[in-house]
Amino acid sequence: TRSKAANFDLMTYWASLMVQINQKLNEAIPVQYPPQIYEAMRYSVLAKGAKRAPPVMCIASCELFGGSRLAAFPTACALEMVHAASLIHDDLPCMDDSPSRRGRPSNHTVYGVDMAILAGDALFPLGFRHIVSHTPPDLVPETNLLRVIAEIARSVGSTGMAAGQFLDLEGGPNAVGFIQDKKYGEMGECSAVCGGLLAGAEDDEIERLRRYGRAVGVLYAVVDDILEESLKAKGDNDRKKKGKNYVEVYGIEKAEEVAEELREKAKQELDGFEKYGERVVPLYSFVDYAIDRSFAIDETGR
Amino acid sequence: AIVLDKPTTTFDFTAYMLQKADKVNKALDAAIPMKEPHKIHEAMRYSLLAGGKRVRPLLCIAACELVGGDEETALAAACAVEMIHTMSLIHDDLPCMDNDDLRRGKPTNHKVFGEDVAILAGDALLAFAFEHIAVSSKGVSPARIVRAIAELAKSVGSEGLVAGQIVDTHSEGLSDVGLERLEYIHVHKTAVLLEAAVVLGGLMGGGKDDEVEKLRLFARSIGLLFQVVDDILDVTKSSEQLGKTAGKDLVADKVTYPKLLGIEKSKEFAHKLNQDALQYLSGFDEEKAAPLVALANFIAYRQN
Repeated sequence: TRSKAANFDLMTYWASLMVQINQKLNEAIPVQYPPQIYEAMRYSVLAKGAKRAPPVMCIASCELFGGSRLAAFPTACALEMVHAASLIHDDLPCMDDSPSRRGRPSNHTVYGVDMAILAGDALFPLGFRHIVSHTPPDLVPETNLLRVIAEIARSVGSTGMAAGQFLDLEGGPNAVGFIQDKKYGEMGECSAVCGGLLAGAEDDEIERLRRYGRAVGVLYAVVDDILEESLKAKGDNDRKKKGKNYVEVYGIEKAEEVAEELREKAKQELDGFEKYGERVVPLYSFVDYAIDRSFAIDETGR
Repeated sequence: AIVLDKPTTTFDFTAYMLQKADKVNKALDAAIPMKEPHKIHEAMRYSLLAGGKRVRPLLCIAACELVGGDEETALAAACAVEMIHTMSLIHDDLPCMDNDDLRRGKPTNHKVFGEDVAILAGDALLAFAFEHIAVSSKGVSPARIVRAIAELAKSVGSEGLVAGQIVDTHSEGLSDVGLERLEYIHVHKTAVLLEAAVVLGGLMGGGKDDEVEKLRLFARSIGLLFQVVDDILDVTKSSEQLGKTAGKDLVADKVTYPKLLGIEKSKEFAHKLNQDALQYLSGFDEEKAAPLVALANFIAYRQN
């Protein structure tokens, strides 16, 4: 199956899902009174250039077990909502103090710090609400929905992404490894696991998705750091945070070694899904894409 | 200088309240143990275990018992509501919001742990509330837990607490805030979560749909009542008596019921809301409704 992944057209698969996800996110956050909060929420959730990797991984994991896309869309959207909420709060002046994100002013730069905090506070519960009120009841039993809610809550919570952000602020020796594990590994793990839960996968399969998703999430972050260092070498040097880049801390050779290990680990986990045949192919192709970045993701697929 | 004259009842409310609050406090303490990273969990526990009257969890448990459920069935939901309440207080107290230094008689969360940790602790409490209700609700059908999650999520988000906070902040210093807008603020800042507490109790306790809806109407009345009384206390009590900064509505130039109606008319309005609330309970068994009746009276006649 690994070899088939090489020929799989991930770009088309990803781009077509992105169109649907963006449309559903747009519908999920209509502007009501008071309009300011909805505009602030929409600004971050519907930001152009968002790759929608968590939702796509969630849907691909659900389809692996023969689950319907329709079962996965609400959770896929919820992953983007809670992810956006985390990023809005991470960017705040008292946190990472990032004036921009994805080439646009960050949420608080546009709407103010108070509105940015509240937009995040509103997006977390909207995510949970979206799952329980939009997932077709005939496709997913309530017990599985509750496991999805618990999974997402845990991964954004005090031992997950909030912990990652805290460690990011505290710094300290070897912090970069923990930070990437918590901030990026969590989201990958959660996305894959939620897809499996929605499709009713067995517990050992869920654990396999857990390890796969975490490896892919961290892999993305390590490769991002490698790409960032190479940009810096070309003179693009506007990064302000020291000691937060894996390459800066451990060197390029070690970073490439770690990336290769993560690629192999993720693929080994997927080998355990052999019996699902070609449905596992999209999950393989994410792993290679994480390293190769062979195309730019956008809605048009070009 | 009490707000209203207190009626006499035979139900031993103080004993009931102490017993339930003790139960809730123990459950909250157990729900969030210390673990890595310590500082976030310490910050979560600092505000969550800071005392407080536990009005929302008590309402949740009392509503559950009213429709025939038992305390244990509603305990996870009761704790979840209190976690959300605490999280909203932590974020509302931040310098960029209401900028409060004192809460429940102690320095506010960001004063002790810093703004960054206060924001993260709030986020973590918000997420954990949903995890807790999904994982730790006992003896309730998954279908009911799912309904409870939808209800709770609605009450905290952009149609609930968040909307209230925004309209409140945007109304400060405005001269033309009328009763309608004031009611919107209070309903969204306070009543929605009291409503969620009561409705969750009714759902967890196995209440029929019409029972849950009656409980909802009861909760809406006491929710607004809660805030009207809060407004009155803010102008009639000292910071020491309240355990939080008194007179700050005046300082912030916030519109309040006393400001719009005067103290006497505000008290009359509180009285009417209390009567309305009790009406909605009239169809229930009198003995089983006693705790909710007493809670409504407690909200009306409390001194801080």
